[in-house]
Amino acid sequence: MARHAAGAIRRDQQLSTFLGRPVKYVVIAVLLAIILFPLYWLVSNSFKPEQEYYHKPPIMVPIHPTTQNFVDIVVNRGLFTGLKNSLLIAVFTTLCTVLFGSLASYALVNGVLPRRLKHVFAWWFLIQKMYPAIVVAVPVFYIIRSLQLMDRVAALVLMNTSFNLPLVILLMVGFYQEAPFEVEEQSMLDGCNLLQRWFYITTPMVRAGMIATGMLTFVASWNEFLYAVILTIVRAKPLTVLIAGFITDKALVWGPMAAMGCVVVLPVVVIMWAMQRDFVSGVSAGALKG
Amino acid sequence: MLVTRTLYQSRTDKALSWVFVLPVILILLATAFIPLGWGLYLSFFRYKLNLPSATAFIGLKNYLDIFSDELTLRSLRNNAVFAGLSVSVELLVGIVLAMILSDDRRFSRVLVSILMVPMIIAPVVAGTLWRMMLDRTYGVVNYLLSFLGVPGISWIGDPKIALYTIVLVDAWQFIPFVAVLVLSSIKAMPRSFLDAARVDGASPWKVFWSIILPVTSPVIIIVAMLRFIDAFKVFDTIFVMTGGGPGNATEMLPTYIYRQGIKFLNIGYSSATAVLFVILMSAIALVFQRLRDRQLLRIG
Repeated sequence: MARHAAGAIRRDQQLSTFLGRPVKYVVIAVLLAIILFPLYWLVSNSFKPEQEYYHKPPIMVPIHPTTQNFVDIVVNRGLFTGLKNSLLIAVFTTLCTVLFGSLASYALVNGVLPRRLKHVFAWWFLIQKMYPAIVVAVPVFYIIRSLQLMDRVAALVLMNTSFNLPLVILLMVGFYQEAPFEVEEQSMLDGCNLLQRWFYITTPMVRAGMIATGMLTFVASWNEFLYAVILTIVRAKPLTVLIAGFITDKALVWGPMAAMGCVVVLPVVVIMWAMQRDFVSGVSAGALKG
Repeated sequence: MLVTRTLYQSRTDKALSWVFVLPVILILLATAFIPLGWGLYLSFFRYKLNLPSATAFIGLKNYLDIFSDELTLRSLRNNAVFAGLSVSVELLVGIVLAMILSDDRRFSRVLVSILMVPMIIAPVVAGTLWRMMLDRTYGVVNYLLSFLGVPGISWIGDPKIALYTIVLVDAWQFIPFVAVLVLSSIKAMPRSFLDAARVDGASPWKVFWSIILPVTSPVIIIVAMLRFIDAFKVFDTIFVMTGGGPGNATEMLPTYIYRQGIKFLNIGYSSATAVLFVILMSAIALVFQRLRDRQLLRIG
């Protein structure tokens, strides 16, 4: 009964009454248009032939839709090489970050480590959030060069792993702390060592969170640009560098550029929609912790 | 028996614990601690890669030069204007949006997933996309504005406007970010707060000012801090939209450090700018931390 009454209050007197219903829908519609139109424009331009994407006034819907732009980026822009590089970078960064991150956070929660080390980690995560990646660009550039890793995917995997580790560890420490300690204790008494406990007992319990952090890492390293542009020359260029390459060219070719943009955006959007709930909570947890 | 076993175990566990954290420590050393330290060291040298013979220890000269370098100061000012403006716009619109969406059960799930799209696409793509749309002659934005009688705006070519154009693109990407986070904190709020206020007959505005805003303010402060710091780090969008131009109208600290260090190979000077940048960021974070502590005290 009480519940019912609360529900009634909730229905009748909502927050938005201070704007009014029609206003609310107008605002939502305008908002949707502003968010969606640019994305529509990206997709529609990718299917326009040249005389349509350079047309004054702009053509809203492609009149003679074509896949020519996609063919063009495959033939002239090395789409597949870029795609391969982007995938390798994102996949290996995700694997490394999740593996090393989960090992480290498990050891921080359940391992035998000096208290001081835990403080160093906590302190480092704060610092890392503050300093811009560009600040270490020059030294990293020389380190990578002296390691002979210039223009190699491995260099970008290393850097992206480094950038994503703090957030992943921060989130995973939370997951491991929430895992029931009784199970951990029991298996400890049963004679499992730390490695066995990590692998067989506790990590399976936090798998869902682990996948969510993995996805965040995947998206972040897929989108990464700064180090990609500094540390690659030809072979290891990922898609983000390829699309920026359109800009530095003299003539902007919008059709192929839009096609490339679609290729960069599509996987990320699919991932995000496939696991929306984890994504929202992951983003907010990542933003709000620490 | 048991004692020796646990002893044996804890020794293994101790060793294993170190093995577990070792990869992370090594990675952070190689990619963060050593580069940071080295950058600090280099900042005390005159060191130009294209003039290696002129390398010399010059103490704080690089730092002093920064304050007489018109361009660094310009980048700093641009950066501050950009961060201040974009964060204010994003917070203001983002919070209003979160409020509007907070009671909507019919669309909000779908809306949130649509809202997520701009914030997760690569900033490079957002930049190129908007550059295409904002083209003075062929761009669709000027075309649409022409219906409202607005004459063709040179969004990217006009030094007076270019900075605000970047703010616009940043806002498009991150208003949803603010909205989604604030929305989730409004939704996490105990309903009884609102119901009680309703029963007492508080007006919606009153509810907003005296319940929703105070309760969500810790989240808002953190979001503001994150956005503010990220706005100072802006690089990708500028790289593809203006390259710091026209002139130096959109040059900011990250793009300037990039140009000095990677393009002009002026390592020492660029390192000094980078060090000052870290100090500036830490100071900003400290201010926000203070704000947050005070806020938590007041509520808790």
